[in-house]
Amino acid sequence: MAEEFNMDGMLDMFLYESGQLLENLEGIILEKQDADCFDEADINEIFRTMHTIKGSSGIMLYDNITKVSHKLEDVFYYLRESQPENVPHVELVQKVLAVSDFISGEMDKIREGDKADGDETEIVADLDEFLKRLKGEIKEQGIRLPKENKHKEPSQFYIAPVASEESHFYRIVIHYRNDTEMSNIRAYSATYALKDIAEDLLYTPEDIITNEESADVILAEGFYMLLQTKSDTDEIVGLINSVEAESIDIEEITAEQFGKGLAEISTDVSEPISIDLGGEEPKKEPDKEKEKEAVKPGDYVVKSKETGKGKTLAKNQPKKQSIISVNVEKMDALMDLIGEIVIAEAVVLQNPDLQVPGLDLTNFQKASAQLSKITTELQEVIMSMRMMPLTNVFQKMRRIVFDISKKLGKDVELEVIGESTEVDKNIIEHISDPLMHLVRNSMDHGIESDPADRTALGKPEKGKVTLEAKNEGGKVYISVRDDGKGLKKEKLYEKAKNNGLIGDKEITDFTDNEIYRFITLPGFSTKEEVTEYSGRGVGMDVVVKNIQSIGGRLEINSQEGHGSEMTLVIPLTLAIINGIVVQVGNSRFVLETASVKEFIRLTEDAIVQEPGGEEYIVLREQPYPFIRLGQKYQLSDSQVQVQDGIVVVLEHEGEQVCLLIDKLIQEQEIVVKPIPSYVKKVKGISGCTQLGDGSIALILDIAGLIQDEERS
Amino acid sequence: MADIKKEELLAEDTQKGQFMTFQTGKEFFGISISYINEIIMMQPITAVPEVEDYIKGLINLRGKIIPVIDVRARFKMDPIEYNDRTCIIVINVKSIVIGLIVEKIAEVDTIREEDIVPPPSLSRSSSEQNKYVYGLAKTEDTMKLLIDPEKLIKEEDMEDLEAMEELKSEEE
Repeated sequence: MAEEFNMDGMLDMFLYESGQLLENLEGIILEKQDADCFDEADINEIFRTMHTIKGSSGIMLYDNITKVSHKLEDVFYYLRESQPENVPHVELVQKVLAVSDFISGEMDKIREGDKADGDETEIVADLDEFLKRLKGEIKEQGIRLPKENKHKEPSQFYIAPVASEESHFYRIVIHYRNDTEMSNIRAYSATYALKDIAEDLLYTPEDIITNEESADVILAEGFYMLLQTKSDTDEIVGLINSVEAESIDIEEITAEQFGKGLAEISTDVSEPISIDLGGEEPKKEPDKEKEKEAVKPGDYVVKSKETGKGKTLAKNQPKKQSIISVNVEKMDALMDLIGEIVIAEAVVLQNPDLQVPGLDLTNFQKASAQLSKITTELQEVIMSMRMMPLTNVFQKMRRIVFDISKKLGKDVELEVIGESTEVDKNIIEHISDPLMHLVRNSMDHGIESDPADRTALGKPEKGKVTLEAKNEGGKVYISVRDDGKGLKKEKLYEKAKNNGLIGDKEITDFTDNEIYRFITLPGFSTKEEVTEYSGRGVGMDVVVKNIQSIGGRLEINSQEGHGSEMTLVIPLTLAIINGIVVQVGNSRFVLETASVKEFIRLTEDAIVQEPGGEEYIVLREQPYPFIRLGQKYQLSDSQVQVQDGIVVVLEHEGEQVCLLIDKLIQEQEIVVKPIPSYVKKVKGISGCTQLGDGSIALILDIAGLIQDEERS
Repeated sequence: MADIKKEELLAEDTQKGQFMTFQTGKEFFGISISYINEIIMMQPITAVPEVEDYIKGLINLRGKIIPVIDVRARFKMDPIEYNDRTCIIVINVKSIVIGLIVEKIAEVDTIREEDIVPPPSLSRSSSEQNKYVYGLAKTEDTMKLLIDPEKLIKEEDMEDLEAMEELKSEEE
């Protein structure tokens, strides 16, 4: 018992578990937001979720989370047991969302190492009031009032306090719900809780902390403790009570029995005091029958059709997949290794030793073809492992649409297409915020506030926002489409001009697309009033920046009066790109294929030099900035004369730059690796890679080059 | 548990006082071998533009890309041509893996604690290179300068790096 209670592993587990549960919960809620009520399965699921969160947060001593989830659990307990009519569904949905927000908020704090200090009283009071309203007149039927379980000492079990001059000996058996996670840890919490009052404490299984398998033993047989203490049963129960347990049996034993230890005593059972704490899981048949007749106070039982199958039932639910969670670092390591294999393979297969004339390589070729096939497959598998469907991101958007339509009083329906489209995990993390912004904008600026405006244009009263994802040609297109007002070109132009963003060019100087792009300029906001959701003039430019940072772009399309469409075009993955390897001097560089517009051979005549030394290339009457890569990076032996090298025209986000390189090597798939952090970040270089011959090439960052050029 | 600890201690014991020594110019330097991962032959180096001149570039160490620095350049000595005696000592300092290009590996030497003296304070301020040297070791025939690899890669660099990393995490 000397070892301190190590919370770290448990904390991770708690955060992970609860996060999953909340996500699941929100899924259910939002799916049913437009229905009239929750069906039985949902109510059970929500109840279960809250119960689990309550239990685990209790162990982790996050009181506010425990209280809130407990309260919501009460509400759903009531719903499940009494099946009341006329539940205000929308209100209920909002209540559940409020709770889930509160808990996620607290969990975020915990994750960042802060204290979970959110104030739960308001939500609890709110839920209390809601529950009371629900109960209304049925109250007298003896429904259990909320405050009565877990947090109070069960006053129903009164055992006369024994004279406390001497110690008493107790045998305690705790049974956990059979789907309890980490029951060994919970058992340890129980022993830990008793530490202060215990004069002597024995327990079995003994290796609860070190041996994870003990969890199974505890689940199957229960957790046995022998306790010598001056305290009475009430106090013991009170202490153990904070731990999620299905039942606690406490029995007073004699000192002799205590001395015999656990092995002897377990067979020697008289009539134990049984305290049922009410796990919500299915129990053994006879138990359940009993409970049906007389539900004990504070006792929650799920009316499961098949007892003892709670776990299997959950597994059979169609939506759940068998998933293990793997540390991302391990995935990355595996990814790296596979990258190595691909490279090593190239080294072997293109080995110069094989170039001996007259060598019979038939068998070698066969074997190498087989090897290539496997490595390609291996690469595909690891790539697919990194892919995640957009479902979760889209789920969040449902939530946002729901919230905003309530707040703004706009009746908006959200249509989701292609949510199973898969994208690299790293990318998903980056698109959630931009997408949220776009959805908000559509809801706020796009959809008309007055339904009459819509009907006047022959559109249905209910606004519609469509979220669509598709995968096309190595890119993922995610579009947010609304059937609202659309963008007004004149208004955009005026606004941009008034804000001094475009000088004094005429509106006819711009194409439609260019005008739409105004909204992505920093400091541009067409909305006169700032609302809670959008219109602060930060937003679209941030969206564009975020998208660019992952190599994507934003396309804007609109038709006045009929709505607009914002499309994010993002690469499928960041880890492998298609690149063109070029040589400058003795160094090799990689250009991302997608950004290369053309290769040309030019003579010095095509170059215009400014007095400041900056150079431009005039190409088809358009000037482009020109960089001699060898000079810029001071690479020895590089071509200085334009006619000796090749000029590459590169494009990024509508901006072009020309580079002088020595020669082209080849196009190939490139496994992107970061430059070791010890080397300072170099502008214009975004990473490095290993080529087939084992040498290293630097990957040019076109955006960085252009920025650098603009700055100078 | 106890066994493992004992073994670790033993391993540390055998490494204690062991120094990898190498020669640059006419001086001998030593690095505690607990920092050293391996010694490899000179490799083709990919230069990285716009970095300090002592960072020679990147090498591919069996698929791991690591930076290499030239010890001579680091000590602000005149550069010399790399030849077939030139080696790269791969060191691991607080999980930063870096290669050190040295002219010539000498040997692994055991240096007793009592043979190490701090560098004379006069030269500490006067000579640039002494900030990487934490001690002088007198062995049979030569004086060896013991290098603190943390300082070698640290000083301004590490601080920059740390500052950059802080920035990065702030951005996130």
